[in-house]
Amino acid sequence: MDIRKFKDLFAQRIMFLLCLFVLNIAFLMAFGLYMRAKPILEITSVGDLLFSLSWHPSEGQFGLASFIAGTLWVTIIAISIAVPFSVFTAIYLSEYCHKKVRNTIKPVIDLLAGISPVIYGVWGIVAIVPLVRDYLMPFFSERLPFFPFVSDNYTGYAAITGGMVLAVMVFPIIISVAEEVIRTVPFEIREVSLALGATRWQTIKHTILKKAWPGIIAAVILGLSRAFGETMAVLMVAGSALHVFPKSIFDPAYPLPALIANTYGEMMSVPLYDSAVMLAALLLLVVIALFNIAGWSILMYIGRKER
Amino acid sequence: MEFKTHISVKNLNLWYGGQQALNDISIDIPDKKVTAIIGPSGCGKSTFLKSLNRLIDLQDDVKVNGQVLVDGENIYDPHVEITHLRKKIGLLFQRPQALPMSIYDNVAYGPRIHGTKHRKDLDGIVERYLKLSGLWDEVKDRLQGPASKLSIGQQQRLCLARSLAIEPEVILGDEPTSALDPISAEHIEQRFLELKKQYTIILVTHSLRQAQRLADYVIFFYLGNIVEHGPAAEFFRNPKDAKTQAYINGRFIEGRKADKELDLKGTVCPANFVKAKLALEGLDEGKVLRIIVDYEPAVSELPRAMEYEGHKVLEVKRLSATDWEIVIQRL
Repeated sequence: MDIRKFKDLFAQRIMFLLCLFVLNIAFLMAFGLYMRAKPILEITSVGDLLFSLSWHPSEGQFGLASFIAGTLWVTIIAISIAVPFSVFTAIYLSEYCHKKVRNTIKPVIDLLAGISPVIYGVWGIVAIVPLVRDYLMPFFSERLPFFPFVSDNYTGYAAITGGMVLAVMVFPIIISVAEEVIRTVPFEIREVSLALGATRWQTIKHTILKKAWPGIIAAVILGLSRAFGETMAVLMVAGSALHVFPKSIFDPAYPLPALIANTYGEMMSVPLYDSAVMLAALLLLVVIALFNIAGWSILMYIGRKER
Repeated sequence: MEFKTHISVKNLNLWYGGQQALNDISIDIPDKKVTAIIGPSGCGKSTFLKSLNRLIDLQDDVKVNGQVLVDGENIYDPHVEITHLRKKIGLLFQRPQALPMSIYDNVAYGPRIHGTKHRKDLDGIVERYLKLSGLWDEVKDRLQGPASKLSIGQQQRLCLARSLAIEPEVILGDEPTSALDPISAEHIEQRFLELKKQYTIILVTHSLRQAQRLADYVIFFYLGNIVEHGPAAEFFRNPKDAKTQAYINGRFIEGRKADKELDLKGTVCPANFVKAKLALEGLDEGKVLRIIVDYEPAVSELPRAMEYEGHKVLEVKRLSATDWEIVIQRL
């Protein structure tokens, strides 16, 4: 065989293997996590681990419930804040604003996506923590002393702080995906609706969103998965207090990613500790993978339909 | 023959970016007649049509000056309520575009946005205009079914019913039959002949025969100018301008010739998209690709996909019982 052809074939094979390796990393990770989490699953049932509140590693109690609740709190708060802001921004960018304005704003929004989480964390401490401590928390827990506002946490480091910082972090994801989806709605549909004498808002409400909503849902799901897994920024502002089950948006929350980042490698002498944290990681990986699969499937389905 | 004027255009100039698309157009459009606008591709016919209901505003970087008086009111006056203007003017497109909703909701869409809420009133409107557009008998049992399931010919009649449902005074048609099969096209033509008793109809058409069959008044556009206009009988019998004569006698050389041909017969989605896209990308900017397809979904989907890629669809035309021609410009 010609040496050139041999090199070509060799290169092709090598690249195929590398590609295969990259693709398999996620599966390897999931498998590795499962193997490491197995010891604790053999002793305690999954139900106990997920729904028990008691986290006393030295006594062999590894209830993840308050961490899961913390994750859900910050995620729900983040998404509730982010969705209206981002979806309406996306609508404004794709429907109302001039092309020049859009072309200036979009890179800025993409820039927002590229900023390191630790910077958001610092910004949270400097700006959002005092805001929550001095204004939001006193205002809400005095005026609305019931679930989910009442709390005795006056530090400003709370679920809502984490949620607010996270919301800003998921803006760019939701905005850019939703904007792209809205723009795939055929231009003629706008023309038809406007030619019938509809206003722009009527056109958006009755026709464009009707076509674009699955994609907007996908955008939100992708944002959700980012919020779910985000570690650093949340760790810095959400309070991370042990033995507190967050019953209020002003209570400190200790989400799963923060738990993993904070404690992994520290208390390895405690039996099964490592295994419990691995289980938390596995949980996170599975949930985020599911979110991503759901989001991308919707987007791919829309893409196929449009082409 | 004396005509009463409905729309009066005075010194209308229009630019896309720096390029002038309409040159000082002045014309009176007769009331309750069919006016046909003819001329070669890219001569400004569609642009002119869209400037009559200000749909042209949707394009980026368009500049307009001059006046268009509809019922004596200048529609380019900044105080004009644009939704009212558009309610007066129905528009049919070359490719019928059903809104993503049921057949019923498509027709009820216009009345609803203009404030008709009662189910009973809407039922009456939907029935009346579907009958008027000749679609009622075919769809009366599936009014709640999706409009996108209708054939192209049926969709165009649905679009006609939808336009009529806002009770316009004027109907604009941008080559509304060119993508249809001959029978559907005839359906639509029949409707126009009936409708002209009550409506002013302005039709952009590529087919001289269609213009002869339908028009009372004819306007000939060439490169953004009106070359000649007049009552149809006289226009066709005795054209004055040499360019008009050439066009009518079929000796006219089209301003734009396809730079490349692509035969996609027997190809279905998505292979045809990929091939069309690659062919377009192989051309230089501004060059024109002519595609022949024989797969009905491709007639509406392919142009849409190519527009999404950023190219400009110049024309979609039915060639025979099975074939369509799609002309796309690379941008």
